[in-house]
Amino acid sequence: MTPPAIVAAAREKGLAMIAICDHNSAGNVAAVQAAAGRGLAVIAGIEITTAEEVHVLGLFPGAWAARAAGEAVRATLPDATAAAAARFGPARVLDAAGRLVGHDGKLLSGASALDLNAAIALIHQRNGLAIAAHVDRPAFSVLGQLGGIPREARFDGIEVSAAGVAAGRGARLAGLGLPLVCGSDGHSLGEVGAGRTLLDAREPSFGELSLALRGLGGRGCVCA
Amino acid sequence: MKLSELVDRLRLTNLTPEISLEGREVVGGHVSDLLSDVLANAPRQGVLVTIQVHLNVLAVAVHAGLSAVVFAAGRVPEAPMRARAVEEQMPLLASSASAFDVVGQLYALGIRGRSA
Repeated sequence: MTPPAIVAAAREKGLAMIAICDHNSAGNVAAVQAAAGRGLAVIAGIEITTAEEVHVLGLFPGAWAARAAGEAVRATLPDATAAAAARFGPARVLDAAGRLVGHDGKLLSGASALDLNAAIALIHQRNGLAIAAHVDRPAFSVLGQLGGIPREARFDGIEVSAAGVAAGRGARLAGLGLPLVCGSDGHSLGEVGAGRTLLDAREPSFGELSLALRGLGGRGCVCA
Repeated sequence: MKLSELVDRLRLTNLTPEISLEGREVVGGHVSDLLSDVLANAPRQGVLVTIQVHLNVLAVAVHAGLSAVVFAAGRVPEAPMRARAVEEQMPLLASSASAFDVVGQLYALGIRGRSA
């Protein structure tokens, strides 16, 4: 999944906007944004694995904010040994053309030391949106790990998986009282566009998404 | 103790019968559903008791050098995971007993965890 390949897959699937949310890192976000140019909006994001092993998506107004969040998360990650890199995959950092720039020496597939509230606070401190990832899945979801959404957890939205939308699980989750989005959680090019959110807004951008999640100014979003 | 004996004594279901249990020893045990904890603390050649049935459990078990994984409370992983476990030669076992009871049974057989 190089930046140019991701952009091409998104365009081929007719997407107007994607969010790049690598595990515990925002190191490749700027490269994808550069590769996309003007034809595709790319939101700078991150998928944080909390200490409770809950996946939380952070979506940010710019790559700089995402990178700052990424650095804060990274400081709490274990180092990746050579054996770990071989087993769980080397964490490559690429440029906009997809060339290898370096490797991240941390175990990005592991859990950070940030608990759920700390992860959400970290995202909000950098003006980001905190979304509970794939809540309908049993693994790595806030519902699966904690049995519910803690009252003090200030999520801006919850994500249903593509499979969840197809199985009609979205309706049940609306009862949680949070805006619903649907994403692909794509770990391969073929998965790009598998899950979509329909955005009713002026243009595809972080700012419009932020308004849509809060239902402000006539904007809104629904799971496709 | 021998893994094959452990399977018999606890009456565990063998989810990966294609893997030979011959020569496999269990020297310790760990119970956890947090993979970060398993990675950090499970003893090599130990047995993991868990209710997490997703593929990451397998990767972590192999990486941690475990002897086997026991899924408790009647949870069983899907077929693709079992097939992958056979490829990785990681025995997957199952019990209908709760994780608490499985660990109790292991402890009664003399299996111990790693102390902090």
